[in-house]
Amino acid sequence: MGIAEFFQHLMNGLTLGGIYALIALGYTMVYGILKFINFAHGDVLMVGAYIGLFLFDWLRGDSPLGLWTLVAFFLAMIISMGFSAAIGMFIERVAYKPLRKATRLAPLLSAIGVSFILSNGAAWAFGTHSRKFNYPFDNSAIHLGEVVITPHQILILIVSLVMMIILKIFVDKTRMGKAMRATSLDQGTAMLMGISVNRVISMTFAIGSALAAVGGILIALDFKVYATMGTMMGLKAFVAAVVGGIGNISGAMFGGILLGILETFGVAVFGIPTGLKDTIAFGVLILILLLKPEGLFGKVEKEKV
Amino acid sequence: MKKSLIVFLILAIALTSPLFAQGSKEAASPKVGFIGPMTGDYANYGVLSNNSAMLAIEQFNAKGGIGGSIPVTLVTEDSEGNVEKGLSSIEKLSSSDKIVGLIGPVFTGVSFAVGERVQNEGIVMISPSATHADITAIGDYVFRTVVSDGLQGEVAGRYFFEKLGYKTVGVLYAKNDYSQGLYEGMTASFEAAGGKVTIAEAFNVGDKDFKTQLTKIRTANPQAIYIPNYTAEMAQILEQASQLGMKIPFLSCDGFSNPEIYNLAGGFTDGVIYVGPAKVKESPAFSTFVSQYTAKYGVGPDSFATNAYDGTNILLSAMDKVYKATGKFDRKAIRDAVAATKDYAGVSGTVNFAENGDLVAYQGLYKVNKTTPEYLGTFTVVDGKLVQID
Amino acid sequence: MFNFFLLILIYSGIYALMALGQNIITGYGGLLSLTQAGFFAIGSYATAILTTRFGWSFWATLPAALILSAFFGLLIGLPTLRLKGDYLAIATLGFGEIVRNVLNNWDSVTRGPMGIQRIPMPDLFGFTINPYKKYAFLVMVFIFVGIAYFIFQRLARSRMGRALSAVREDEIAAQSMGINITTYKVFAFILGASVAGLAGSLQAVFSLSVTPGTYTFMVSVMVLCMVVLGGMGNFKASILGAFIIQLISYFPQLTGLSSVIPPQFKQILFGLILVVMMIWRPQGLLGREETRYGKKVAKGHKGGAQ
Repeated sequence: MGIAEFFQHLMNGLTLGGIYALIALGYTMVYGILKFINFAHGDVLMVGAYIGLFLFDWLRGDSPLGLWTLVAFFLAMIISMGFSAAIGMFIERVAYKPLRKATRLAPLLSAIGVSFILSNGAAWAFGTHSRKFNYPFDNSAIHLGEVVITPHQILILIVSLVMMIILKIFVDKTRMGKAMRATSLDQGTAMLMGISVNRVISMTFAIGSALAAVGGILIALDFKVYATMGTMMGLKAFVAAVVGGIGNISGAMFGGILLGILETFGVAVFGIPTGLKDTIAFGVLILILLLKPEGLFGKVEKEKV
Repeated sequence: MKKSLIVFLILAIALTSPLFAQGSKEAASPKVGFIGPMTGDYANYGVLSNNSAMLAIEQFNAKGGIGGSIPVTLVTEDSEGNVEKGLSSIEKLSSSDKIVGLIGPVFTGVSFAVGERVQNEGIVMISPSATHADITAIGDYVFRTVVSDGLQGEVAGRYFFEKLGYKTVGVLYAKNDYSQGLYEGMTASFEAAGGKVTIAEAFNVGDKDFKTQLTKIRTANPQAIYIPNYTAEMAQILEQASQLGMKIPFLSCDGFSNPEIYNLAGGFTDGVIYVGPAKVKESPAFSTFVSQYTAKYGVGPDSFATNAYDGTNILLSAMDKVYKATGKFDRKAIRDAVAATKDYAGVSGTVNFAENGDLVAYQGLYKVNKTTPEYLGTFTVVDGKLVQID
Repeated sequence: MFNFFLLILIYSGIYALMALGQNIITGYGGLLSLTQAGFFAIGSYATAILTTRFGWSFWATLPAALILSAFFGLLIGLPTLRLKGDYLAIATLGFGEIVRNVLNNWDSVTRGPMGIQRIPMPDLFGFTINPYKKYAFLVMVFIFVGIAYFIFQRLARSRMGRALSAVREDEIAAQSMGINITTYKVFAFILGASVAGLAGSLQAVFSLSVTPGTYTFMVSVMVLCMVVLGGMGNFKASILGAFIIQLISYFPQLTGLSSVIPPQFKQILFGLILVVMMIWRPQGLLGREETRYGKKVAKGHKGGAQ
């Protein structure tokens, strides 16, 4: 393999990984606090993308690419984040909250039910065809020698990095963040300390869903918008979150990028047939779980007798 | 106590549920079934073809229906793209609805399973899109209004080698029956003609990032890339190839005849050459169909939907013929009437069925200029030789 | 109509086998596994390949499918059983996806996305068990369900069942009582896998064709739902759960509703039922079957102790 090809693959892997990381951040956020796999996360992402698409098309009208399209894009994104946060909170209130004391299985199955409702509801309401989300900026490729990258890919990497940093500061430094960490450690004790656990959990879902909306919209630019867009992406992102050590914010970022690069290099360098990309992803997952069950950056939880 | 009550209730519902359905039985209106994926990853293909069947039947009924007086009812069942649900669908259609004919299923895998059942039950089935070469070998009740992978791939491979002069071609195909069938068909005939498929990369259904595969193909540097896929994936491939700065020409298949491609892929379609249905000369039928369809459903039909429209109309006219002759809807007679279809002027072209139920058809070659396909000619393969019809 | 009801019963029987297996893994062993679809696929493909390619009879492929899926159960079980809770769920889910991914890509053996067709019908002393004429097939499926139920019920009441329950309730306590946790967990996994493989074989000769698209993650979820809906740790409940879930998912087709409502509605309905079910009765319809040892347990104990 030539140097140029190597770097091109690296770039492809990095940006694919950026996409995984973007979604994984939301996943890990919810899991970190609640220890609960939110299977509907990918579907909230899809809803966010649809809202963003409709708003953007409406705001943009016929105006050509320029400053206004960019403003419209970010406006659409922010409004969509708000909507998605509300949807996330609503889902939590209706489908998960009553199950907080039930077995592990109950919220898991409930989440799968919610995922069904959302994706099929969207297919019914918006149709089954893919919709194009037009770029709000000129996305022609940038050539770095023989290696090519698009502005969109750079945007994805930057946004996921920024989101990671903001999230980290939020969780580590703010009062709400502290309450979240306390809730994550022990809900009962947190409640005794005067933390409104219900509010914290609601907030967690709001943030997670808003992040999903950002991810959905950014992905939709490249991958289009359709009702099942969140399913496989969500699953892969979840793998990324687990690989990085679920509940760990920088771990999710790292896990996402690692997964993207492994998938790309697995088929590009090691000659694994490209159809087996998913096998690589899940194989890596199983391997990492076996070697380091808490994930690469996770904390080991000692079981008390 | 409570438990046994629950169990009792459930059993009661289960055993009485067949009673609910009795009311919906009407002997007078003959029923036509449709099976396709209406939900799940493949839903769009099922929905588009189902739209066609609905449109055809609605238009038929508006003209008075069978014998000018009996309307036909369409019963759609969802296969979810898997064999299990496909079988339950045909069971329901045949035993509850007593359909006289079936449009679908949309995909090869399900078509095999359902085909065995319709053959056994004696229900004529016309698939708009099951392209696998062996589908019609199931039996004499199985027909299709789509060319087999064999023919399309054969024309494609020969044309790429002989007329376009390519010696090496790369392929990027999806791991589904349609895409892989075309890949295999094209490869066989391209290599038989003397060319070489130097690299074939695959992806899984649901994948949206093809940059890895494209980068590998770019390194192998074939003269052209064949992308036999569905519309949405092709749009994606073209866009990402342009992002990677690839200048290699693209070749494609009938999935490209869905006008949606120009909406999704925008300016990246320029220069693509594809094999599609042969064009009907001087016939406004196709454009009328497209505009009626688009007006009604808000999206354009793909090539499978076009085939489904023809298939439904063929079935309807067979039913009409049989009813006029005998006053009944005998499944065997309807099957014979479908088989006897001769030079049916459909929207996808002139339709004839071969002895085995395969579509006798020519293939059209198109070249896209910006976002308008231009017709290059009609071709077929006779005894391993490419023949231009006009 | 009645024919369609028979079809639901056959599917219920096939899924009941998988649910019995899931119950021994999840209900008794407390292991949250999401991989029945993988074993189901392995069983199906074993039968499909051995009958069409090597001319085996269906009956000869049964033990092969059973052993093969049991082997994979061991293979996946041994390492992953170190994992707990959600991590185990994700690892097993990953395994299921890998199976499907490999089946879809290993063209030379599985014919990839084309699937395998024309699987011969099972033959018994010159009598063909024809899936078109459903009675014989139904009887065959339920004989298998009966056998599996009988064996599992016996096992659950044996030392193994008690050991598994102990492991589920408290691993460390169980270990200190001298129970070899790993052995029992792996054993549960192997048992669960092998019945799922058996179910796969039956599925293959019922549909007479197999394609990778049939063995999605959704199958695992459905099977898990059956066990949870019926009641964990209760084999009768698993069979009942299988029947109810199949009845729910085919209810629109059974009653003719499916041609009236938009196709998405039945999926939405299924999702709603899942959510409502979990909120309303997370312990399932029948609840756990408490095996009583010696004296009757006092009546006041109603599972609310935890």
